[in-house]
Amino acid sequence: MHITTTPLLRLPGSVHRIAGLALAAAAATLSLTACQGTGGDGKADGGPAPSGGTKQDAKPRRLLWMGDSIAEAEAPALEAAMKAGRAEFRSMAAAGGGGVTGPIAQPTWKALAKELRTFKPDVVAYQITTYDWGTPAEQRAGYERLARTVKAANAELLILPSPPFKMDDFYKPHANEIRTAPKAAVQVARRHPETVHFLNSSALWGTDRAAPKAQRSKDGIHSCQQGSAAFAKWFGDRQHELYSFAPAPPERWATGPWTGSKVYSRLGCK
Amino acid sequence: MEPHASAHLASRRPARPAHHASPAPPGDRRRVAPLEGLRGLAILGVLLFHTGHFGGGFLGVDLFFVLSGFLITGLLLDETRARGGRLDLVAFWGRRARRLLPALAVTIAGTLLLCWASGPPALLRFALDDAPWVAANLANWHFVAERVGYWDAADTRGFAHLWSIAVEEQFYLLWPLVLALVARGPRAHRRVAAVAAAGAALSLVLMIVLADPADTTRVYEGTDTRAFSLLLGALMATAPVSRLLARAGRPACAWTGLALACGIGTYWAAVGGQDSPMLFRGGLFLHALACAVLIACAAHAPNAPFGRVLAVRPLRWLGQISYSLYLWHWPLTLLLSEERLGIAGWSRTAVVVAASVAAAWLSKVLVEDPIRFRARWARGRTGALVLLAAFAALAVLWALIPRPQTGAGTVDLTRL
Repeated sequence: MHITTTPLLRLPGSVHRIAGLALAAAAATLSLTACQGTGGDGKADGGPAPSGGTKQDAKPRRLLWMGDSIAEAEAPALEAAMKAGRAEFRSMAAAGGGGVTGPIAQPTWKALAKELRTFKPDVVAYQITTYDWGTPAEQRAGYERLARTVKAANAELLILPSPPFKMDDFYKPHANEIRTAPKAAVQVARRHPETVHFLNSSALWGTDRAAPKAQRSKDGIHSCQQGSAAFAKWFGDRQHELYSFAPAPPERWATGPWTGSKVYSRLGCK
Repeated sequence: MEPHASAHLASRRPARPAHHASPAPPGDRRRVAPLEGLRGLAILGVLLFHTGHFGGGFLGVDLFFVLSGFLITGLLLDETRARGGRLDLVAFWGRRARRLLPALAVTIAGTLLLCWASGPPALLRFALDDAPWVAANLANWHFVAERVGYWDAADTRGFAHLWSIAVEEQFYLLWPLVLALVARGPRAHRRVAAVAAAGAALSLVLMIVLADPADTTRVYEGTDTRAFSLLLGALMATAPVSRLLARAGRPACAWTGLALACGIGTYWAAVGGQDSPMLFRGGLFLHALACAVLIACAAHAPNAPFGRVLAVRPLRWLGQISYSLYLWHWPLTLLLSEERLGIAGWSRTAVVVAASVAAAWLSKVLVEDPIRFRARWARGRTGALVLLAAFAALAVLWALIPRPQTGAGTVDLTRL
């Protein structure tokens, strides 16, 4: 349970990175085992150690979450999970925005600059938005700028694809652009193997938005509480693999007050 | 969403007190009959839009705005002419409050109680959240600040439609102040026309500059960005425009009105919603301008064929209840959902419309008309105190309704 099969996108040629990850995973396992063995904060149930067991240099300590309304619906669960793992969390996911390409990018850059300055994250996670429209070159340019901006703030960047969602009349004209966005992000991650990682969340959501695995709400686009909790759990596990982060067990956060967040009421969730 | 027109009509009722009388020529009720019909068309468009049958029906709100600007400015300019350039602002605001707030308060209370009794928890939650802003007539800015996208989040908010009432109320608060400064002395109408035209142009620029393709709530619901509709209506109520129409003659007005009515109808049929090309980059402005000229033509040539069509009885009747119909239709649309009724399409629409019309008619007969025309206590200081007491009672009701608990039991740990 400590180390699950990594859904990190395997990038051809990035042998060093894979080796590095394997080392990190091994180190994390050793670290957790050591904590449990010494009766630290680790739990006896064999789950990932709570944050007390996290290595000194483990990340994220301060996670900045970016994206659109889909990310906004994931944010309450993610916040609960991260905070339970003793990581500070801030979301700048914005309904109807949050993207880094096209006409909606301007407010994102402005808000990002402010968050990097004031919140000082060590990890920035950007979930590709449903508005990341443009040519592949424009999309790459947007993600490149994001990578440079985050690196300049001494943080690492994680890019995640958006979950599969319903292509309604609003999105249909941009279906191709929505499809090319993750590919552009992968290309950018390849160019910055030390500071940019692509987390392929299709391992969690699948690729069919109508399948139960996608866990979409009535609107076919966002997730309700169960889907968001599943995402937060999955994300925490990925941080464990990447950065030796010790996610808190879901029992400690997954049924907390965040489930009553307004964002779910707005989506017609229970 | 029709207060202005009603006020205008009412001002010509012989039974009304002298201080409400308009200096406009007597016997001109027919002059505004097509405008009542336009209100009927506007509310019909909104009803069909909100029940999913007519994508361009949301433009009915724009038509309401233009009508409001036209009729309220006409009343205010009439008053300045009759009182030597002065406006009794307190009396004006008192009349507006008497016309609009009682029905609004009843709608807020009724919606809260209905949501509490039978609505889904999310609907009650947002109704409680939004109610104070609605009561303060600031709902539009509340929705903008909360980034509540009108086009994609309104389904869980029973007061989502009241952004437009807030825009109108804010206009009624500010525009008379402007007129009090501008509409005095010689060439008052010319100055008012210039201010209205300049304000409309500025408002258009703001809409273009602030338009965000990903979330249009700011420009769709902002008072500043929607002001051009009200101001274009106001422009049409000024003497320079009236003189222009008089010089053009009634036949020209009749043909222009007919052409504009056809053009506006075509635009309504063609527009699908916020994604319509150019909607926020001049489209809404041109629509408002066309509506404004149509209204001016209808007022100038009420007996023209298009005016007679607009003045048919069913449309006028809808126009007469349009304010309360607007207030009630959306919460009832949400409460009478497909899931609850077990029917969909036109059958459900018929139920929603019937319920909304019934609520609107009751509101008019039991609340609006008595307070406007018969209740002496509703005037002056007593009226203000009663209104305050009514809103205090509303606040108590709001505080007493238990906040719904949402989200409990929604996460199954075994599935994580």
